[in-house]
Amino acid sequence: MKQNSIRTRFACGFLRTLKRLPKTRATSPSTSPGEISKRCRIIKMAADASMASAVGPRRVWSRAVIRRIRLQQRQRLVRRTRRGERKKSGKGVGGGAGQTACLRKLVPGGENMELCRLLGETAHYIKCLNTQVQVMRNIVDLFST
Amino acid sequence: MNRALPEMLHCTDLSVLERQQARIKWQQESFHQQQRYFDENEFSGFSGPFQAQQFQGLVNRDMGINGLVKADPGLDNGWADFGQFDGEGSGLGPGGFGLGSGFEMNHGISRTISCPSAAAEVEVEVAAETKQRESALPEKMSSAVGRESFKKRKADKNQNLKAIAEEESKKKRIKECNEEGESRITEQNSNNNNIKRETSADTSKDNSKVSEVQKPDYIHVRARRGQATDSHSLAERVRREKISERMKYLQDLVPGCNKITGKAGMLDEIINYVQSLQRQVEQFLSMKLAAVNPTLNFNIDNLFAKEVFPACTSNFPMGASSEIANPAYLQFNPLQQVVSCSGLEIGISPDMAIRRTISAPIPIPETFLDSSCFDQIQSSSAWDGNLQNLYNMEFLQGRSTSFPAQQFSGSSEASNLKMEM
Repeated sequence: MKQNSIRTRFACGFLRTLKRLPKTRATSPSTSPGEISKRCRIIKMAADASMASAVGPRRVWSRAVIRRIRLQQRQRLVRRTRRGERKKSGKGVGGGAGQTACLRKLVPGGENMELCRLLGETAHYIKCLNTQVQVMRNIVDLFST
Repeated sequence: MNRALPEMLHCTDLSVLERQQARIKWQQESFHQQQRYFDENEFSGFSGPFQAQQFQGLVNRDMGINGLVKADPGLDNGWADFGQFDGEGSGLGPGGFGLGSGFEMNHGISRTISCPSAAAEVEVEVAAETKQRESALPEKMSSAVGRESFKKRKADKNQNLKAIAEEESKKKRIKECNEEGESRITEQNSNNNNIKRETSADTSKDNSKVSEVQKPDYIHVRARRGQATDSHSLAERVRREKISERMKYLQDLVPGCNKITGKAGMLDEIINYVQSLQRQVEQFLSMKLAAVNPTLNFNIDNLFAKEVFPACTSNFPMGASSEIANPAYLQFNPLQQVVSCSGLEIGISPDMAIRRTISAPIPIPETFLDSSCFDQIQSSSAWDGNLQNLYNMEFLQGRSTSFPAQQFSGSSEASNLKMEM
């Protein structure tokens, strides 16, 4: 396995963040749905962040993911007491209800790219998602045994 | 004599021009050096005596010309080829020379357009158009490659040309060359018979091909036969080909897409696949990890080292990284091994500042370990620093205030959060 591939970098980062997760205290039930969903979100965010940083800034979608996470964090910090989370403000897509517009919504950072570049970004994104799923599945398998 | 010969040139040059167009490419290859020479320095001064030379050469017929023109090894090649190439004997002599010198003469003519001593305005009009293309292109050409491509082309005109062009990377061409050169040549050729049109179309393609080879800054495309040649459709074609190439690549990535051939179907499949992958990461795996994680905090490192990085343990260098934070690492050796292995190429970043900022607000030794691991793996580049900041923000917040889950949720789950809190 390549020493410095995306997969290894992602796995390193992800496991590190998992370690740093707030451990559930013994008193609080770890099976409450709220807890679990919270942890789900944290884990997902950790996965996204570590994936994006493993990929590096050279891809549009990884930059967009990092930007999104930072924005959310800033919003949380600033508006913690305020109600009403603002929806992620994406730029309006002029493509309408077509498949291209759908794809743009799916791939982070794909709102303003032309189709050719969008397809390239999608390919890389799919590859990295596959890696992510594989690593996470491995981890789950390891820990559940 | 000078008066009579220009008229002869007039007559011959019109037919010569057709052949010129058929052979412009190799002319350019062999003459590019001369052209530069001509273009830059002397040609404007040459007009008079040069044309006199040409006229003499006309009289002298083909191969004696070599002595007249500037020394160029490519020239001999071109001339030799030219000698073989033309089966037609009739107009060949003056035509042949006209080809060689007419090419130069075009430059001369274009250079001397303002000069009253320029001989033929007819030639100017006709040749100027070709000359524009020629002068635009030659600077980009190197004779060696051009000669090779010329030989290839000699073997098999049409098919090889297209094959070669498609082998090479297709790029977009300069607008002027496209519009002026090709369209004007096609205009001119529309007056001639089909053979001439073919050959000139070939030469236009040849020119585009040659310019493809040499000039890396511009993107050149070849206008295929029977297709529009203006720059917009060329650009469109390039774009379409790029898109189809990427669609093919995506077809390989997405499983089960081999049978689907349409773009729309492929896009649907791709969208479904991306959605399913994202859903997997989000729901299934996060859920499992959330359920599993609390019980297995400290085993992560061992398992990590063993399973995910089977080859790493053998490569553990025990370099300076271990010296930096050795006491903290004692209980977490496997992870350290892994960390060092992965961090080898990036190098060790002795960025104590980062470590301190990370560890200072967190008194827990476990997190100290994490931050030092961070330092090793991730160099002090800004990008990696971002990740550390992200994690800090996320998890510091999580620790200091027990589960302000609002921080971590996506916007779509805002309502859930409110309910929970």
